Amino acid sequence: MPELTKISQPHRFFLNMGPQHPSTHGVLRVLLEMDGEYIIEPQPVLGYGHRMQEKLAECRTCTAFMPNTARMDYAAALPYNHGYAALIERMAGIEVPPRAEYIRVITSELNRIASHLLWFGALLLDLGAFTPILYSFDDREQILDILEDITGSRLTYCYFRVGGVSKDIDDKFVERTRAFIKRLRQRFDIFEKLVTGNVIFINRVKGVGIIDADMCRRYGATGPVARGSGIPYDVRKNQPYSVYSEFDFDIPVGENGDSLDRYMVRMREMEQSLRIIEQALDKLPEGPYRGKIPKKIKLPAGDCCFSVEAARGELTYYLVGDGSDVPYRLKIRVPSYSNLSVLPELCRGMLLSDLVAAMGSLDLVIPEIDR
Amino acid sequence: MAEEKRNMLRIHSYAGELRERNERGTPGNLVEQDPGPIVRLQLAEKILDVCRANSLWPMTFGLACCAIEMMCMGMARFDIARYGSEVFRPSPRQSDLMIVAGTVNKKMAPAVMTLYEQMPSPKYVIAMGNCAISGGPFAVKENYNVIEGIDKLIPVDVYVPGCPPRPEGLIEGILKLQEKITGVRHPFPQRKVSDAPN
Amino acid sequence: MHRTESFAQSLRKLSLELQEVDFAQRGYHAEILLTADTLRDFARLMLEAEYFLVFMSAVHMSPAIELVYQFAQFNSQSRILGRLFLDADGVVPTISDIFQGSNWHEREVKDFFGIVFQDHPNLEPLILPEGSEDLKPLLKEEDKLKSCQEVSWQPAEAEGENEAAEPSGSEKS
Repeated sequence: MPELTKISQPHRFFLNMGPQHPSTHGVLRVLLEMDGEYIIEPQPVLGYGHRMQEKLAECRTCTAFMPNTARMDYAAALPYNHGYAALIERMAGIEVPPRAEYIRVITSELNRIASHLLWFGALLLDLGAFTPILYSFDDREQILDILEDITGSRLTYCYFRVGGVSKDIDDKFVERTRAFIKRLRQRFDIFEKLVTGNVIFINRVKGVGIIDADMCRRYGATGPVARGSGIPYDVRKNQPYSVYSEFDFDIPVGENGDSLDRYMVRMREMEQSLRIIEQALDKLPEGPYRGKIPKKIKLPAGDCCFSVEAARGELTYYLVGDGSDVPYRLKIRVPSYSNLSVLPELCRGMLLSDLVAAMGSLDLVIPEIDR
Repeated sequence: MAEEKRNMLRIHSYAGELRERNERGTPGNLVEQDPGPIVRLQLAEKILDVCRANSLWPMTFGLACCAIEMMCMGMARFDIARYGSEVFRPSPRQSDLMIVAGTVNKKMAPAVMTLYEQMPSPKYVIAMGNCAISGGPFAVKENYNVIEGIDKLIPVDVYVPGCPPRPEGLIEGILKLQEKITGVRHPFPQRKVSDAPN
Repeated sequence: MHRTESFAQSLRKLSLELQEVDFAQRGYHAEILLTADTLRDFARLMLEAEYFLVFMSAVHMSPAIELVYQFAQFNSQSRILGRLFLDADGVVPTISDIFQGSNWHEREVKDFFGIVFQDHPNLEPLILPEGSEDLKPLLKEEDKLKSCQEVSWQPAEAEGENEAAEPSGSEKS
């Protein structure tokens, strides 16, 4: 890379990667200070998708806020539902029956696979390949059909309730899920041949956007971003919640922390999610699908937090209650917020086309950052 | 304080001016006064309308959750390409349909206006999802940031309700837009696949 | 990790005290009361002890706004919540040179609550549009504002003793 200080001034300019851009995955604006083709400093500008979620949480009862949790990260909405429902259950001391916990795990993992398939298609669309998104959306539609039968929605689920889930799963669901698992395992071959072994793809992501473990810790990056850098941190293993401690699954970890490692981590995570779903379907217990809840859920005075592993990293809800059923303050710590904050340090001195690959590998969903 | 917050949300918009112009009945000095083509031929207009309706190129303007359903509509299962919207153009200068999919808030509103101004006429707007129609789940008393419906900013042709609407719903919206442009639901003669009515 | 002797020793040097809490009730393992003077040293200690900043936020209560910092570790089960109570004109130093992730968290707190962080490199609005510095949406109105005692965990029996103490959230539960 040439010495940037010696290049004369006329090559310096500001490039606006606007709120409307095919590669920003939503309404992110990145102000790029450029020197020719090299980026001096990218400055993300947020706020184009701010929808006052934390304020709305203070104005609604705790159970009425559930649909909002799904609208934050719409690609993987069920872990958000899960975190919020489990937080209210922890505060109010409500028991969840085991069948409901298993159903929660199965549907959350299906949603995680759907989110990773969406990310896969979108990343490759940014890099210029139009075919893989068609294949991944086909598999995603299968998952959406399975989940639509029991939840009623395709995208922004409001399926979990405080105390369990809102509708039980039947044999048809179990049958379709098993058939889907078999099908997806075969489809991974297509993804391997089409993309992972593709020399053009590898040249575009190998060695691009290297995040080391120290940077992850200073910025608080979690999820596949941290796992790609060699940190084996997964909330499902570190602080097991729900019934995750009963399943046997691995945490894929990368070595170098470049975009290719983050890609491989997410592809392996899809396989691990399939393992979890299989084990959960085998062990699914009988029983009620929703526990007993009081007519009006009273949140005690005090604060409480709950962390789940969302598709993009660690999601933490922090709620301060005041004795009524309306939260006093809800803070939602979203994973993409911390993942995006590494961008200024990560992309200094990078080529513009590498910025697109690096941002795609971070897997951002902007409305969850803006909340 | 709620009143002050409401006032902050009012933004100078085309739709308001259009309404005022219609009420006043006088042209006034407005930014855009499109006189239309100089020579009008009825048959040529009809043919051009059919061509336009069958080749609506949307602009990629996904803002929030509805964007994913819009992407699903463009993919293999629901496939908007069979209705003519073959490609989603990222540049507003190359598109003639703006599908506003998602919530528009106060920070985003000037960008929406700039994009709308950049589109060449004739241009059409579909408001997709409850947020674009009326603010959706965010049109509440404590709202300080969300524009309650993009028809406060730009004139809208078709409203597609849902949160988010199914891709089939959005395809129906595009078919309704074709009907609005040409007057007929399927402007191009369709080969009858079955005996079911069209 | 927070139960090791070396950690406790470093805390004693800063004259801070860690309170263990019930994880099943609260979701974090320990809490600590910080002040504006001890904040930066504590953050440095956390960085050396290999913690990462989970989030940083604020809660508006009377008489002081409470800043909440949560730290966790990648390789062990240890979540620590730090609380800092600010007066109305209080200033708080930034920790964005220690934990770069808090750069954006502090900008957001400035947006929503109006708290200014000293020596922060860039306190422009992050999420709210420009020109809305007076909006401060998450500050509560007079009738909805609650006092510190009303939103903190109280020990079940001795409620009368807490009124005399300073507003602090570090009662043993």
